[in-house]
Amino acid sequence: MLKVNDLHVRVDGKQILNGLNLEVKPGEVHAIMGPNGSGKSTLVQVLAGRDGYEVTQGSATYLGKDLLSLPPEERAREGVFLAFQYPVEIPGVNNVYLLKAALNAARKHRGLPEVDAFEFLSLVREKMKLMQMDESFLNRGVNEGFSGGEKKRNEILQMMVLEPTLALLDETDSGLDIDALRIVANGVNSLRRADRAIVMVTHYQRLLDHIVPDYVHVLSDGRIVKSGDKSLALELEKRGYDWLKQDAA
Amino acid sequence: MTALATKSVSPNLERIRTAFEQRARDGDPLAEWRRAALERFLELGFPTQRDERWKYTNLRRLEMRNFAPAEAPHVAPTLPDALTDASLRIALVDGHCMPSLSHGVQPPGVTVIGLGQWLENAPTDAAACLGRLGPDPASAFENLNAAFVDDGLVIDIAPGTQFDEAIYVVHAWHTSGRMAHPRIVVRLGENSRCTLIEHYIGAPQIESFTNAVVTIEAQAGACLKHYRLQQESPKTFHIGTVRARLAKDARYLGHEIALGAALGRADITGLLDGPGAEMKLRGLFAPAGSQHLDTYTRIEHIAPYTNSEEEFRGIADGRGRGVFNGKVKVHPNAQHIDARQLSRNLLLSETAEIDTKPELEIYANDVKCSHGATTGQLDATALFYLRSRGIDASTARALLIRAFAESILTSIEPQGLRTTLDNWLAQRFSSTEVSP
Ligand SMILES: Nc1ncnc2c1ncn2[C@@H]1O[C@H](COP(=O)(O)OP(=O)(O)OP(=O)(O)O)[C@@H](O)[C@H]1O
Ligand SMILES: [Mg+2]
Repeated sequence: MLKVNDLHVRVDGKQILNGLNLEVKPGEVHAIMGPNGSGKSTLVQVLAGRDGYEVTQGSATYLGKDLLSLPPEERAREGVFLAFQYPVEIPGVNNVYLLKAALNAARKHRGLPEVDAFEFLSLVREKMKLMQMDESFLNRGVNEGFSGGEKKRNEILQMMVLEPTLALLDETDSGLDIDALRIVANGVNSLRRADRAIVMVTHYQRLLDHIVPDYVHVLSDGRIVKSGDKSLALELEKRGYDWLKQDAA
Repeated sequence: MTALATKSVSPNLERIRTAFEQRARDGDPLAEWRRAALERFLELGFPTQRDERWKYTNLRRLEMRNFAPAEAPHVAPTLPDALTDASLRIALVDGHCMPSLSHGVQPPGVTVIGLGQWLENAPTDAAACLGRLGPDPASAFENLNAAFVDDGLVIDIAPGTQFDEAIYVVHAWHTSGRMAHPRIVVRLGENSRCTLIEHYIGAPQIESFTNAVVTIEAQAGACLKHYRLQQESPKTFHIGTVRARLAKDARYLGHEIALGAALGRADITGLLDGPGAEMKLRGLFAPAGSQHLDTYTRIEHIAPYTNSEEEFRGIADGRGRGVFNGKVKVHPNAQHIDARQLSRNLLLSETAEIDTKPELEIYANDVKCSHGATTGQLDATALFYLRSRGIDASTARALLIRAFAESILTSIEPQGLRTTLDNWLAQRFSSTEVSP
């Protein structure tokens, strides 16, 4: 589904990704871990189409398409979803308006008619219930004044409404309380399907107790320096990253 | 030698004098008043950028032009159906009242008279009314207006009258190459309340000059909600002066929305004359192309316990240039003052420019004054966020621009006016690819 090959990325003249390889197949869940500043967010943002990144070498294909040549909105409509590490507050743009516009954009892309207003509302209500979000969030500005945890839940709510094919979750667990972590994990798990894939960036093993990954990768200095199964996360929890950095050097 | 030649008047000013002499009429009860105003205008000429109040606006473009005074059109043109939800509509075309295009009934306590008609029927009364309002000291454009004014409106709201539907005044241009100097006098009796919407429009090919003056006198406890929506043709010059004097507990809630004109200037002065008086101004100016839109506000806290609040937002695109200059003056002994000012600006292109200048002049010590000014571009992260949700780039941009204007939009009470502005924003900035 997603094939990242020898990806090199620079930002403002600084090399951040240094020949990154990653292959994700339908149905799989991949966890990406690694020290602060190693390039995890850069990877998922480049995949989602954020500009300002210069791809100097390598490629990324998604469902056989050259992902890097598509504008971000096309990627989204093709089923790529990025849950932001820092969801953006957009006062003046209504939360439910964005949800509906996003869903309709994807539907239009697939040749489907616009969603019926009534159906849409019941769909959103159902998903909000799962996320244990109060309906009052719908009529607020996008993430405006939301607490850290509320923003993360809102990201997952959007994901559940949009039902992406490839979900990129950037530290969706950070800032969540224990109950919220479970709620978010349930939300993510409900999306797991043979034709979908999930790549989640995290610093903590505890998320992986809830969403059990098929693969765990360690990103360090812009490269994947180690891959393994879920037991790798346990090992990292015990030993930290230093031993891997030395290995890689 | 001929060193003592007569003081030379620029040909631009000479043209104004000639126009004035040509239309001087015998027996005009305002003759003296007009001539005095003309002389004051000619003495100083058009303001230059050396004048602090005009620091960012060069009037050469206007000064060079030759506009003949506008006449009332012989046939009534058809007006676009601009705003429909006003119960009382009055049309001024080329600066002249057009009764045939006006409709609605004046409710009890509300009297609206055409100034031209009044000057005709009761010249001495009308002259006394205008003469008494002789501003102190008048600006160049108020003087120019006084020299040429021949029509406009006098709106009287009787004490205690609460008229919540709007009086909608549409100022439309029909003839190109003319100048109009309409004047609107609003007199609010004690504890009266009224909404006035002024809408300035003109077809795109019109190249004229509007020099409108609105004077407002609000007695104790009165309240005026005043909306000015300036949508002149992109070739027209627009100078709009508003001067409000507020007695004890009187309130003026103004909206200044500047979208049209090649060169536009709003000049708003509030004199807070009695304790409890309050002035709230909100505005939006959106220059694009080569438009230049300037807003100057001057709020004078003359009495103690007076409040003012201003929020102006500018959105500049293309080579558009915007100016917000907000002056607040607190007079000696005017204690317990609360004055707040916010200027937020958005630049949509590399070549757009907005200058914002707060000016505080405070001669009292128990004063709460705050001002904030920011100028920035669209938030790239927010743009990416929206696009990452499948919203195309131009729609995302339009959404963010609308969001920027949201606080001004939502503060507009008359529904029709709000919708007009909302639609304008949508049309100017968006594509309609995604309809949510
Ligand atoms: N615009 C930029 N200019 C310069 N350096 C940048 C820029 N954006 C990111 N970087 C740098 O790139 C590196 C990788 O950043 P990135 O956000 O991808 O790290 P991360 O692995 O997600 O870290 P964290 O775990 O803290 O979220 C960091 O050193 C960061 O400072
Ligand atoms: Mg990160």
